[in-house]
Amino acid sequence: MPTQRPRRIAAAGLAALATTALLASCAAQAGSADAAAAAGEPVTGGTLTYLEHQPHTTLYPPQAGFYPNGGIVNNITSRLTWQDPESLEIEPWVAEEWTVNADATEYTFELRDDVTFSDGTPLDAAAVAKNFDTYGLGNTELGLTISEAINNYASSEVVDADTVTFRFSAPAPGFLQATSTINSGLLSPATLDRRLEDFGAGSSTEIVGSGPFVVTEEEIGTSLHLEAREDYDWAPPSFEHQGRAYLDAIDVVVTPEDSVRIGSLLAGQADAIRYVQAFDEAQVSGAGFEIVAAPTRGVNNSLGLRFTNPLLSDIRVRQALVHGVDAQEVVDTIFTENYPVATSELASTAKGYTDESDALAYDPSLSEELLEEAGWTVGAGGIREKDGERLSLTVYEAKPQPLSKQTLELVSQQLAKIGVELEVKAADAGSYATDILDPLATPLYHSMVGRADNDVIKSQYHTRNRNTLLSNDAELDRLLEVVASEPDPAKRDEASAAVQDYLTERAYVIPLFEEPQVYGAAPYVHGFTTEAVARPQFYDTWLDKQ
Amino acid sequence: MAYLARRTAQALIVLAIAFTATFVLLQALPGDAILIKFESPELGLSPEQIADIRASYGADVPPLQQFLHTVAGFLQGDFGYSVQYGTPVHELIGSALPDTLALAGLGFLTAVLLAVALAFLSTLAPFGWLRRGLRALPGVFVSVPVFWLGIVLIQVFSFQLRLVPVIGADPAQALILPVLTLAIPISAPLAQILARSIDEVQLSPFVAVVRAKGAGPARVLWGDVARNALLPAVTIAGVLVGELIGGAVVTETVFGRAGIGRLTEQAVANQDVPVLQAIVILAALVFVLVNLVVDLVYPILDPRLKRKAVAA
Repeated sequence: MPTQRPRRIAAAGLAALATTALLASCAAQAGSADAAAAAGEPVTGGTLTYLEHQPHTTLYPPQAGFYPNGGIVNNITSRLTWQDPESLEIEPWVAEEWTVNADATEYTFELRDDVTFSDGTPLDAAAVAKNFDTYGLGNTELGLTISEAINNYASSEVVDADTVTFRFSAPAPGFLQATSTINSGLLSPATLDRRLEDFGAGSSTEIVGSGPFVVTEEEIGTSLHLEAREDYDWAPPSFEHQGRAYLDAIDVVVTPEDSVRIGSLLAGQADAIRYVQAFDEAQVSGAGFEIVAAPTRGVNNSLGLRFTNPLLSDIRVRQALVHGVDAQEVVDTIFTENYPVATSELASTAKGYTDESDALAYDPSLSEELLEEAGWTVGAGGIREKDGERLSLTVYEAKPQPLSKQTLELVSQQLAKIGVELEVKAADAGSYATDILDPLATPLYHSMVGRADNDVIKSQYHTRNRNTLLSNDAELDRLLEVVASEPDPAKRDEASAAVQDYLTERAYVIPLFEEPQVYGAAPYVHGFTTEAVARPQFYDTWLDKQ
Repeated sequence: MAYLARRTAQALIVLAIAFTATFVLLQALPGDAILIKFESPELGLSPEQIADIRASYGADVPPLQQFLHTVAGFLQGDFGYSVQYGTPVHELIGSALPDTLALAGLGFLTAVLLAVALAFLSTLAPFGWLRRGLRALPGVFVSVPVFWLGIVLIQVFSFQLRLVPVIGADPAQALILPVLTLAIPISAPLAQILARSIDEVQLSPFVAVVRAKGAGPARVLWGDVARNALLPAVTIAGVLVGELIGGAVVTETVFGRAGIGRLTEQAVANQDVPVLQAIVILAALVFVLVNLVVDLVYPILDPRLKRKAVAA
């Protein structure tokens, strides 16, 4: 069996530490509130009140991508590996070390032997095998869906109590990173016997994980109370802080109204909040509070151009749209410096990023030329026409994206200047869910996805994954499959660059900006950090309340 | 007794119609909860996986069959599972109902007190300008959006004056501002009707007789006018229960309270049919009960109505 040399964990860990230190020293918008250094020694104790924007819906890890879900799962589960949020290196956590064979079809993990679930049962190889069998294959009987992050999963083998091997039907170079994501949060075997319904609201206290916190109380749709596990002693070895979490407890309170969330923070009723709107940032930082804008490191906030719509089948029309949108103006008008203008389909902080900015530049006169060339001439009301058809397109406000409506309306104004009508629609969830699956109803689709692995671009664009372009382009799928199956990291980055080049060349996407998750925290909250795609990590958080 | 039996039969018919209409309307809407939850590109599931999920929810059978299944479930007290949360519907409603009952009950009580105080003060107050001012208040109250009122109350009393916390408040504190938010707009139509009806009754001949017998204005108002003026107010109070439910949706969202209102809002947003069915039945039940109570109160307030009811 051809086996790749095990990764030099220690070396990687050290490198990661050094990188972290370096980045922390020039901390501008790193995902951590590192006033900690200035505030002295961390204090153990206290309860943090954290305001969420929406209620969580499930704690089943593969469905925890929704931020309210992920924020909980990240704190109540540990994972096989930890991804450093700065260097994006994969480090040991529950797995002490691992080996991957040359074509990335077989992974063997050596586990720590001291990890337990919160009900006292040991986290051993059998438990890990059951977790990944569930996440990799799903469980139709229980309604448990497979994880988007795991591709080509075939089977597991428990070698001994601390050793587990996973096999894949095709190369799966993204699997190692997948083991670090919240979608692979390790739950007790008994918890994985629950039906999907039994992971929903109202059953959170029964979800048994392996993380530094445990949900002890729940008021459905309103609040969760998390308590620190006294016996938690398996933080990733690269962490300076070991042992239990500093906080005694966290109150997660759902506060949907923006002004109430901000006001409660500023009035001292809450300690930290998620989802500070761009227009509220100045108010929060002006009051001496901290804004933590953590990058999501994936596919940028962007508009997918569904080229199977006849109006967009002409590449010149798509190119005209790409050059007709001024992303810089969008950011300057609606957002803040925490929302960097996109320079590619991927965020500059994402794995496999390559700079495409030259080919994406705002150039309305070029757009007009392209449209003329394509036979679209200015007609009534300044909107272009061809053979009696108006160049009129539709886009839906995307509720999960920050200020989507405002963004789209500004884009619509920009496109009107080149003679393209863009109608911005809002819809109830049912019509939205139906229409976005139809290129005729939704020729432009506003979305993004965060994941700190090269696979993220495949998630967004492959016809078997999110398929946001509703593509029928076999070449695009082929290029994406190379990203997901190339075992050599350098070649994987090249494959990712090839996809970005292709998307740009074919003018399939209008990238807008690199979307962050924006948190606000009181000045006495220290060590508020996020994992690699900006989910809150309360393990290091401590309160300096006088 | 026969009267009660007839009313119960009527109530059952209303419930059945409400139930069926909800089902039909929700079926007619584009999309459904499973589409919203599982077919959203966010989960990245393949079409085969989604088909499996549809089958597991019983959503792959014809609507009529689903309807019969749902009716059978409801009759046995099984409201099914919320698609969005995966939680049993009875559990969701059970945990939300007490909060909403407290909010709506206290809100209604406060609204009635406010309305009565406004109506009587605007009749009894010493100065003309004061009476006119009080008369104008309900007009202001009724046009205040609940949403805005809630936010203003929070900003002023919680964030500026810091009198009551919004986050981490004890259950009693947590009710103060929401109850006010709910009560103020609802008190307005009540106060208007009550005041107008006081005016009318004061002009009726029997009041002149009482006055001629030497009764003072307060004695006339409390002893004779009030009782007669209450009738229209009680009728409108029954209708206002509907507004209470609507107000609860907004109030609970602004204040981040768990309750039927929030649950409704979420269920509508996600077309969570099992939850909506249960909420519609609950709301219809409340309406039917309140109207029954109102009808039973009429004869107590006005004996003439009792005679008519008996004659009928």
